[in-house]
This record gives sequence, structure tokens and C-alpha cells, in this order.
Amino acid sequence: VVIALFAVTAALYALAGGLYALFLWRGAAPTGSWSDRALGAAVVSHVTFLFAGFVHSGTLPTSDIHQALAGLSLLVVLGFLGTMRSRPRLRVLGAFITPVTLLLFLGAAFRRDVGPVPDPVRSALLPVHVAVNMLGLAAFALAFAAALAYLLQERQLRKKRFGGIFERLPALDVLDSVGLKAVLAGFPMLTVGVVTGALWAVRLHPDSFPLSAAQGFGLLAWILFAAVLLLRVAAGWRGRRAAIGTLLGFLCTLAVLLGYVIRDAGGVQ
Amino acid sequence: MSGPNLAVVGMSYRTSPIEVRERLAVSGEALEADLRKLAEEAALEETLLLSTCNRVEVYAGTSTAPEALERVRRWLARRAGRSIDAYVYEHRGEDAVRHAFRVAASLDSMVVGEPQILGQVKEAYAAAKSSGALGSLLDRCFNQAFAVAKRVRNETEVAAGSVSVSSIAGELAKKIFADLDGRRVLLIGAGEMGEQAAKHLRKSGAALYVVNRSREKAEAVAQEHGGHARTIEELEAELVLADVAIASTSSTRFVITPEMMRGVMRARRHRPLFLIDIAIPRDVDPRVGNMDNVFLYDVDDLEKVAQENLSARRREADKAERIVTLEVQAFEAWRRASAVTPTIVALRERVRGVLDGELQRTLPRLEGLGEPEKQALERMLDAMTSKLLHRAIAELKAGAERQEGEALLESARRLFDLDRAEASASPASDARDVAVDTGARAKQIPS
Repeated sequence: VVIALFAVTAALYALAGGLYALFLWRGAAPTGSWSDRALGAAVVSHVTFLFAGFVHSGTLPTSDIHQALAGLSLLVVLGFLGTMRSRPRLRVLGAFITPVTLLLFLGAAFRRDVGPVPDPVRSALLPVHVAVNMLGLAAFALAFAAALAYLLQERQLRKKRFGGIFERLPALDVLDSVGLKAVLAGFPMLTVGVVTGALWAVRLHPDSFPLSAAQGFGLLAWILFAAVLLLRVAAGWRGRRAAIGTLLGFLCTLAVLLGYVIRDAGGVQ
Repeated sequence: MSGPNLAVVGMSYRTSPIEVRERLAVSGEALEADLRKLAEEAALEETLLLSTCNRVEVYAGTSTAPEALERVRRWLARRAGRSIDAYVYEHRGEDAVRHAFRVAASLDSMVVGEPQILGQVKEAYAAAKSSGALGSLLDRCFNQAFAVAKRVRNETEVAAGSVSVSSIAGELAKKIFADLDGRRVLLIGAGEMGEQAAKHLRKSGAALYVVNRSREKAEAVAQEHGGHARTIEELEAELVLADVAIASTSSTRFVITPEMMRGVMRARRHRPLFLIDIAIPRDVDPRVGNMDNVFLYDVDDLEKVAQENLSARRREADKAERIVTLEVQAFEAWRRASAVTPTIVALRERVRGVLDGELQRTLPRLEGLGEPEKQALERMLDAMTSKLLHRAIAELKAGAERQEGEALLESARRLFDLDRAEASASPASDARDVAVDTGARAKQIPS
């Protein structure tokens, strides 16, 4: 049942993503509302999947990286849906958000039983570490979508060539402020996440390559987001530069996740 | 003819000069009065009068098309005080429906996709409705026309993108700043086009500041558009505060240079600035356009956008025409089906009436019949009617799906002499409404 729910959820996300993309490029109004419906169905299926997983294994989604990914992807969508409620024009961002969600969700599939978490790791800090990182990442995913849309829109305004998506993408200042707010929301989470992560690194002296690389990326992401915020305040960096910083920062956080997934999938030792 | 059909007589910007159209234009309260006069004088069963600055059109629902339309033409000519035959077009049946749909969807407009026409058609519809000139045919036709207009607006981009340079400036501004309310627009110089663009932005709620070499000129322009005047010395300071700047001076040198803008952008902490250079020769050094967060558009850029929007609209118009074609077919199917119903009802009544007449004549000669026996006879006549007409009615109904059905309907009405029987019963339009109603019930009787 759990596997079937997983497949259904993934398929629904793929469908919603396709519809959002169609809405963005072609702009037919019906695809817009259908994509919302598909996404809604995916969320329902997703929640059911998480619940079934909880019943099956009895653990919360903060206990290992795969469950965390499944939980995280849900947070991303919920964050997007919440944002869309107050700003319906941001619906087109679904074309960027949904694929990210699907990617994160699929990450949860690379599951291999690594046995119980080793004792030193198992501390009260672990759920905190995972939870804050999930929340932070969900915020950054939204910032990422806004940044991508910003760069697309800015490019069109600069090249003075307007495709159909120009009509449907929101105004630059809206995208800029959504991106800023999302980074502002995610940054404290990431900070706590990086600090708690560093505590383990000190305690465990891990020597497996993907993990130390992951920590490196985690730090890099933190530095990038810090720079995005700091430079905006100090030097008025906004718009394109802020968007590029956000984009890179989010990719770094994805790299961290990738490190964990690779380790647990046993790909690299 | 099998029942009333639609027709339109009219003239538009395509076929007639403004001098003729303006004599025919009516609006507001005069519209309803004129409509009543028209319906009466031209003896139209249903009518709707659409009058805009680009067209004057009379839509009619009539069973006697050629004569009725001739009367409409004469009415128009009398009002125009001259012969109008050279300017008038006429569409009947399906073509008239198509015309109504295209007009409402703004496909026949001078600027395809302009939104005002739908409101004007709705006004004409409301006037016709309240003056009682609207029958079921025109009512249905125009309600569907509104639906077509909505579909075209939602499913195509016929109305997307401005085609005038000054409104494009406003449209682009809205892609940089979602809300222009409270934003600052700086008008540098006082070219005509610059003023137009500023006016557009002002309408969206932006505050206007005017800079000019001559203080008096700045104040005059500011006064006219409800803005604030500033001196040319304040240009840099104003550029720091502005969100949109429109340059249209007659200067032969660049008024805004990269050196100047570097300082300005730093001072404004890189808040985005939309720079529109409508001056010829240009006021803004084109290198300014490469700076981060500066979006520079000159006249050529805006013209290019206008041209692209125009051709995009034309492409979208093809899509819209396909929607119109589908909807016309839907309307015609409805019309044919609704023309069949009164015929079927009349056919049943005719046959049943004849049988009943014979029964009444025979009954006195039949002795010893009680109530039950009489009722049995009645039921027999009902059954005979149904069985006799079963095949004919099925064919008529099936015919409604096709165009040939109209000929079939015509034959049925002639063979059973239905038109005369109906005409003697009640006025045509009343009979029609009632007939549709009973027709719905008639369908429930197993036939």
C-alpha cells in the first residue's frame, strides 16, 4: 500500500508539474485551475502516504533522510499553496516549485535499510536538526522558484523580446520581494541547522567523503544566503544579483541532501 | 419559411464613412424609443439595435426576411435622410449569427480585441430586452454571443498586449512594478508622446513630476496632468526618487549619461528604474540600458512591441474564429431543434383534431355507449395519432440535426397545412413560446 501511494503521489506531482508548465508557456486558463486540482490531489495522496508510512514503521518523518525528504517535499508544496492563497498571480511559480517537489519526493525512494541510527548520533538534537532544515529548505525552495521566475522575466525585459510567458509571470518587484521574504524566513532555520550539524561533525569525526562534502555545501549555502541578505542591506544588491545568489544557495542545499542520499543508498563509501 | 430566422442589416467603419454613421447613431434613452418605433414600422417580430461609433446594426428575428429587411433599410434611409444602399451590408440565418458573435467577441472591431464593444453590445441587449423587442431567438443568440466573447477572451490572447506606444509604456511598467499606485513618474521635457505615456501611468495611480528647461512649461504640463513641477537642476535628485522616467526633450545631446546614472543608481540603492526615451534624437545614452536594474526602452523598442502585439493578435484571431464557428454550429442546432418542436406539436394537434371532429360527428349515432366506452374511444384516438405520426415525428427530429431538416419541416407544414391552422389560432410569437413548452411535455408521451 505504501509503495502504491508513493507511486500515485509521484505521478500526481508529475501531472501537476506538467500542467503548470503548460499553463506558464501556453496560458490557457483551464490548465491553471486543473493544475491546482492535480496539485491538491497530490497533497492528499502525499499526506496519506506519510500517514501510512508512520503507521507502518512507527517513526516520525524526522528520523531518517528519506522520510525527511518525503516530509520536506510536502512542506514545500504547502508553503507554495499558502503563498498562492494570498497572491494568486504567483500560480505560475508552480511550474518551478512542483518539479523541485517531485525531485525531493523521489529522493525518498532511494531507501536502503541502514539499520538503526548509530548511538552517538541519536540525541535529542537530531529531530531538531532535521526539522529546522526541512522548514528552511521549504522556504528556500520557494525563494528558488521566485528567483528563477525573476531571472526569466528580467531577461525578457532586457532583450525586449516577449514570449507568452511574459504575460503570465508576475512583476519583477513582486518576485523580488517574495524571494527576499522566503530567504529571510529560511535563513534562521538554516543557521540552526548548520550549527547543530556542525556539533555532530565535531562529535563523530566522520570520514566518509559524501558527508563531509555535504557539510561543506551546507556551509557554502549558509554563506551564500548570508551574502544575499547582507549585501541587500549594505549595498542595495537586489534583483538579478540577489536572484542568482538565491539560486546558487538553493543548489548547495540540494547538494547537501544529495550527499545524505548517496551515503544511505550505499553508493559511495 | 419554417419559423423565424435571424438577420442583420447594418453598416460599420468598413463599409461607410463617419458622416453617414453619425446621423444614425443613437444611445441611452433614445435607443429604447427608437427600437420600439423600428419594431413597429418595420413590423419585426424581434429586434435589437446596436449603435456604436464604429457601427450601426439592426438585428431582427423574422419569418419574412426579404420584405422585413427591406423595411429596415427604408427606416434607416429615412433616418439618415439619404440613400444608404451603398453602405449597407446584410446577413441572414447562420451568417447573421456568425456576425453577431464576431462583433461581440471584438473580432470585427477596428482594433481587434478592444474590450469596449462587449459592453456596448450588452447595453443594446438590455435596451432591447426592457423595451420588449427581444424574442426567444435574439435573446438566445445574444446570450450565446456573450458566452462566445468570454470564451474568446479566456481561451485566446486576442485582447492581450497593447498596440499603442503610450499604453505599452504603461503595460511594461506593470511588469516591473506590480502596482503603480503611489509610484513616482518623472517626465523630462514635454514632447507630445511623452505626455501621453505619462497620462497613461498617471491613470494607474502614479504621482507625476515634471522637469523642464523652462520652469513655466514644466508648471503648465504639471498643472494639466495634476503633477508637480521641478527645475532642470533637480533632474538628478528626481531621478533618484523616480520609479519610471520618461525622457522626451528636444535636446540634441544626451540628457542622461552613464556617468550620471551610476551615481543615481548608487543613491537609489539599485532600486529598479524604468527609463523610457521617446525623444528623437535620443535623450538617454544607450549604454545606460546595460546597467543592472535599469530598463531602458526607446521609441523603436516600443514600436517593435506594438507591431509584435498587433501580429500576435492577428494570429490569435484565427483561434477565435474557430471558436466562433463551433458556437455558430451549436446555435444553429438549437434553432433547428426549437423550430421542430412547434411543428411537431401542431402536427399532433392537427391529426388529433381531425380524428376528434370525426368522433364527435359519429358519437350521436352510436347508442348505448357509457362513459367507460367513450373514454376507451378517446384513448384509441390518442393511440392512432401517436402511431400514425410516429415515423414522421422521428424523421423531423432526426432532421433537426442536419441542414436538410429544414426542407423536411417545410414539407410537413405544407402537407398538413399547418401554417394556416396555426395562424388562425394565435399570434405567431406567442404560439412559439407556448409550443416549446408543450413540446417538452409532448416528448414525455411515449410515441
